[in-house]
Amino acid sequence: MSQLEIRDLWASIDGETILKGVNLVVPKGEVHALMGPNGAGKSTLGKILAGDPEYTVERGEILLDGENILELSPDERARKGLFLAFQYPVEVPGVTIANFLRLALQAKLGREVGVAEFWTKVKKALEILDWDEGYLSRYLNEGFSGGEKKRNEILQLLVLEPTYAVLDETDSGLDIDALKVVARGVNAMRGPNFGALVITHYQRILNYIQPDKVHVMMDGRVVATGGPELALELEAKGYEWLREKVKEGA
Amino acid sequence: MQVLDKTQVEAVSKALGEPGWLLEKRLKALEAFARLPYPSKKDENWRYTDLSEAPLEQEIETPKGLRLSRDQLPEPVRRRLERTDVSGFLVFVGPDLVYAEVPEELRQKGLVFTSLAEALKTHPEKVQSALFQGVYTEDKFAAENSAFFTHGAFLYVPAGLEVEKPLGVFKVLLEGGKASAGRSLLFLEDNAKAAYIEEYLSLDLPPTLHLSATEMVLRPGARLRHAHVQTFGEGVWHFHRQRALLERDSGLNDLVVNLGGAYARSEVASELLGPGSESEMLGLYFGHGRQQFDHYTLQHHTEHHTRSDLLYKGAVKDEARAVFSGLIKLEKGAQKTDAYQANRNLLLSPTARVDSIPQLEIGANDVRCTHGSTTAPVDEMQLFYLQSRGLPRGLAQELLVKAHLADVLSRIPLKALRAHIEAIIEEKVRI
Repeated sequence: MSQLEIRDLWASIDGETILKGVNLVVPKGEVHALMGPNGAGKSTLGKILAGDPEYTVERGEILLDGENILELSPDERARKGLFLAFQYPVEVPGVTIANFLRLALQAKLGREVGVAEFWTKVKKALEILDWDEGYLSRYLNEGFSGGEKKRNEILQLLVLEPTYAVLDETDSGLDIDALKVVARGVNAMRGPNFGALVITHYQRILNYIQPDKVHVMMDGRVVATGGPELALELEAKGYEWLREKVKEGA
Repeated sequence: MQVLDKTQVEAVSKALGEPGWLLEKRLKALEAFARLPYPSKKDENWRYTDLSEAPLEQEIETPKGLRLSRDQLPEPVRRRLERTDVSGFLVFVGPDLVYAEVPEELRQKGLVFTSLAEALKTHPEKVQSALFQGVYTEDKFAAENSAFFTHGAFLYVPAGLEVEKPLGVFKVLLEGGKASAGRSLLFLEDNAKAAYIEEYLSLDLPPTLHLSATEMVLRPGARLRHAHVQTFGEGVWHFHRQRALLERDSGLNDLVVNLGGAYARSEVASELLGPGSESEMLGLYFGHGRQQFDHYTLQHHTEHHTRSDLLYKGAVKDEARAVFSGLIKLEKGAQKTDAYQANRNLLLSPTARVDSIPQLEIGANDVRCTHGSTTAPVDEMQLFYLQSRGLPRGLAQELLVKAHLADVLSRIPLKALRAHIEAIIEEKVRI
């Protein structure tokens, strides 16, 4: 069961139910897109997968390679190979990227990581992202532009090499060059041992990250699943078209 | 048991072979000590502090004439000497100056770094002109120190001499149960430059009173970097008072660190007496268990074109408490003055507490002056972000505490001292 599976997931924040029975499977080795209009619950799903304590899960399961991770803390989930690229990466003044990344890598691998080993990994990642080494000594996201923050998320993705990654609107607010860089990073991760869920509002990023499947979320559940052509259709016809179609189906 | 009276003051003064003027000053301080009541919560400056468990009225520990070789130094000091920034240093075990190492090259240039008792013999006029100018009988504890102090360090830097490497004092308490009272007197002549680190160490002790005072005289153009680093073990109640007198165009960079002991109180004043003088005042504290750290600061501008910049940052966990009370006082003549003050606190537990009281008293109109204070728990968003990358909550918290204190640490250009402080912070987060 090498897959990330979400089963009948219900969740709320401040008494308001946001997720209303999400079902979704991302097999290892595949990249799926999760699309949907604003307020559909896409980002909520991303945060809940990572274990954001702000949300209350009311029902359902999140199975990572068959193991329910709902009761695990965010760091335990991460060490089991789950990664969330944040929509709004958090600024942490006083903690340098280098220091943080090395600690995170050590936590992930459960052993000391020597300076040489660490630098080899980081340098490779920086090359893929075409990013300057100088960023490593900067404080985590402090004073970063939107694009720099997203690039920093992908840097962490490349260094930590998770088994499953959720990218929460990593494309939003990026110009086309930054978007290409981010896509390059994700594509570098692609392979039989990596699965990803790319959450996005727009089809644009999917020109650079070809999804194996596209899921569409509306009103707290996945209402449609299809091939890459579904994204193009949505781009052309809009979400309202799908909403009508779903209504008809129901 | 000895009591804190005239007989004892005379005995201390005699044992140290002090001149008559000093005994007189001590006796005057004794009068103040006898007259002043111990502070209580009714006093504005003590309203957040409970001294009911403080070992007040303890007998003063007097010197035994102990001398040690470098190899015989107590373990905590030896460990510090393995990695330190200082090039010359004095080691006090309780009231005894047990070891001194001062570079010959500096001595030849006229620098004096020795015990106060020794300096009274070799440089009596210098000591007499400066001693008690900064700290004398401001409160009960200052008066107690001035009347009963048994030891001290004296640093004299002649005009124009620039000493790059820091000099330092390591004071270690090995036995508890008695009061220890000591002083530092730092005198920098015109355009002299020096750095001075005071470190206070001990093992865990039974309740013990520790009194320290640091007086700094900066003649025109002098530059001094000063650090007071308190890392006592459990049981020590530490009362520290310091005051810097800054003459024209002089500059002080001051750091106060409180990490150890049961209770520590630092009263830190910079007197900007000459135009062009400036004072950077940094503070760092991290309390755990039931520790309490109080910081009372004064940025006192009496002259025009003076500048002060204060940043005190702290964290408290468990049931620890901290108080920051900072006053910027600008006299009428202090035009074209810049004065800044910031106090930032991190609360690591719901039972930890900080009281922060920034205050301004402005008597001049053409000034730039800001102050601010924040006290907040650890940012849950930051914690979640760090955890989401695999860092266990404890390690994430440790990172955030270090990050919180980082901008004070980054302003300390003393590498070994910084590493020492960081190591203690790490240890404390994990307790």
